[in-house]
Amino acid sequence: MNEVMAIAGSTWRRILRMKVVYFLLLCVFVLISSAINYDVLSLQENKPLMIDVSLVLNTLAVVLVVIAMTFEIPRELREGVAATLLTKPLGRTQYLVGKCIGSIITAVVISVLITIGFFVIFWLSFGESVVQSLLEAHLLVAASAIPMSAIAVLFSVLLPEMITPILTAIALWFAFSTSRILDSGVGKYFYGGVLPDLDLFNFKSFSMVSAGWPYFALVVIWGIVFSVFALSLASLIFRFKDIK
Amino acid sequence: MEEYVIKTENLTKIYGHLFWKKKTPSLDNLNLEIPQGTIFGFLGPNGAGKTTTIRLLMDLIKPTGGAAWVLGRPTDDVRVKQRIGYLPDGPAFSPYLKANEFLMICAKLLKIPSRDRKKRIAEVLEIVKMSEHANSKLGGFSRGMTQRIGIAQAILNKPELLILDEPLIGLDPQGRLDLMNIIEMQKEAGTNVFFCSHILSDVERICDRVGILCRGHLLCCGILSDMLSETGFRAVIHPGHDVLMQQLMADATGSTRLPDGGWDLAFASSEKVKGIISSYLEKNPESIACFPIRESLEDYFFRMVAQAGHQEQQ
Repeated sequence: MNEVMAIAGSTWRRILRMKVVYFLLLCVFVLISSAINYDVLSLQENKPLMIDVSLVLNTLAVVLVVIAMTFEIPRELREGVAATLLTKPLGRTQYLVGKCIGSIITAVVISVLITIGFFVIFWLSFGESVVQSLLEAHLLVAASAIPMSAIAVLFSVLLPEMITPILTAIALWFAFSTSRILDSGVGKYFYGGVLPDLDLFNFKSFSMVSAGWPYFALVVIWGIVFSVFALSLASLIFRFKDIK
Repeated sequence: MEEYVIKTENLTKIYGHLFWKKKTPSLDNLNLEIPQGTIFGFLGPNGAGKTTTIRLLMDLIKPTGGAAWVLGRPTDDVRVKQRIGYLPDGPAFSPYLKANEFLMICAKLLKIPSRDRKKRIAEVLEIVKMSEHANSKLGGFSRGMTQRIGIAQAILNKPELLILDEPLIGLDPQGRLDLMNIIEMQKEAGTNVFFCSHILSDVERICDRVGILCRGHLLCCGILSDMLSETGFRAVIHPGHDVLMQQLMADATGSTRLPDGGWDLAFASSEKVKGIISSYLEKNPESIACFPIRESLEDYFFRMVAQAGHQEQQ
């Protein structure tokens, strides 16, 4: 486990030292705060707009961290960094799991920061304290990093470097669109349930009804199970890959 | 203790062996046995398969055929890597990490006890003379500095086997001398060393055994002094034996006057000269000292590679 956390820690440090991450966070907070001024343009819908904007930006931030991971593993393989690490007593599976955990930790931390920032801005704007349903919605977004990171790791190992980020983004779009795909007649025949159903993590902001912590726990467990499946597949492929 | 630190049986690697890719054989039935207590030099022209061999031993790539063992364990045994130190050709490290951070990650992966990590990292940085750069980011290092950090991470766990792929590349003359000293220090500490290098003079200086690879085939392998044939000998004549010197000077291929008044003469192999020296020695036992002259490793290397080339043409 130490080895896995050593890899996760190096991934975390890598992303922490990227200036673009801080710029991204700043942009998110500015955009959320600017929703205060929506009452000028909207018909008194600025409060739901701020909630929607915060959830969308939170989701986008998590997706961006995951997409960044799709660059990380191929880059390390190409530059020989992975080769240096894999000549230590570190299994290939441990390497992948470490990368996945590093991505999850980073995405969750960024998501939590955005959540805290949103609630501070929300409280300053409307004087309302934390609503449980909203908190669940944001934490579900953070939890969606678990299956998304696993998909990113799987695609990083499976696909050529050039197309991995694009196909990962497309796959995530499909995963977020599960309910629409399943509702359509055509989708039912093509969607085999291979992709994760990220709709499970999409707590519709308009419902404002708490689904409860048991639902949250079940969804997180589902995300972990899916990740184990995806990482097992990635490990099987990676085991036989020549590391240049 | 295992008899062989490295053993391969018919080790083969063919790149692109799937049906839709062009087959490129890189290693062909390599059979190698390297005993304990050896500094082994693995030589060969560019593209011979040296790096492929090392990558197979480190389980970075999978063999197409055959098998290999390192320290008595199959190469895919992750646990054996705890006893190995490896320096790749052109090491690459995460550029955003500082030197001590990177070595700390390596220490964790090598399962060095947490209470010993900082001390050991400081020790290896001192050995490779990079202590003052411990808190500098690896991305800002020159080629030589990166190579030194590479050596540091390779010796971090006091390995039983050190595998070095072109360790001297990128080092300045002082750095090369430092690394040669490190290798000799490691040998004194009981570490086995396996390394590839193109700098044959350095290989000749420190290696006990060498193997020469050419186009994936092992041309020869053995104890260095046995492999290099004797091309002549040197005779150091002490002062006061001018009669002997005059007898031998005509057959000498080279001569040097020594500061003490004696002579250092070089000869091609000659029974006549040996006869003169033997009979003189019977009467004057301490008048002369003889040393064999062997062909250089470089000459031997070129001879073997040329022979291999001729055989292939035939």
